[in-house]
Amino acid sequence: MTPRLRKVALTAHVTFSVGWLGAVAAFLALAVAGLASRDAQMVRAVYLAMNLTAWSVIVPLSLASPLTGIVQSLGTSWGLFRHYWVLVKFLITIPATILLLLHMRPIGHLARVVAETTLARGDLAGLRIQLVANAAAAMVVLIVATALSVFKPPGLTPYGRRKQREERTGSQ
Amino acid sequence: MADLLPNPDPDSGDGNSTPRWVKVFGVIAIVLIVLFVILHLAGGGFGHHTPW
Repeated sequence: MTPRLRKVALTAHVTFSVGWLGAVAAFLALAVAGLASRDAQMVRAVYLAMNLTAWSVIVPLSLASPLTGIVQSLGTSWGLFRHYWVLVKFLITIPATILLLLHMRPIGHLARVVAETTLARGDLAGLRIQLVANAAAAMVVLIVATALSVFKPPGLTPYGRRKQREERTGSQ
Repeated sequence: MADLLPNPDPDSGDGNSTPRWVKVFGVIAIVLIVLFVILHLAGGGFGHHTPW
């Protein structure tokens, strides 16, 4: 990649990734509000907003973030499998995206329920608690990924060490 | 960019071994995955994933 293209790719990746983190933080706040609120109108608004936020913001960002990360890693000397920090980011982000997609159904279900009826305080409590727990877990994963990106802890994978030896041999 | 010289720091590996932080990360990940599986096998933890 040219330096300019590399910066464009990095900007895209950072934007999508941090945006994903922010969207999940907002989602978590809504999930807590939905669980704790005694106001039926607030609960209705919260779960409708969560469904909208999830489909229009979180899902697109959860796909764009790892995609731009892969493009960026493969287009630079960092690579996707050479450095442990890149590999670990990849290994925690992909399951996070998959689990998010799998958990979209309960979010949609809650939105449909509140659109059609009034949710009492204890109704679907397990599901509502699960949404809070899932959002909190997603926050932890994304914060860890962000920390890895900033700190870039050292360590080459066996593949990375082999590529490094090949490049040294080739340059001699 | 990555430091290409061998690093004796055990936290980063000696150049031929897995860094300590990766091992710690791996242990934590395995524990969490096991907990996740146990919770789901025990009945979904907090509730069902999807009302079908």
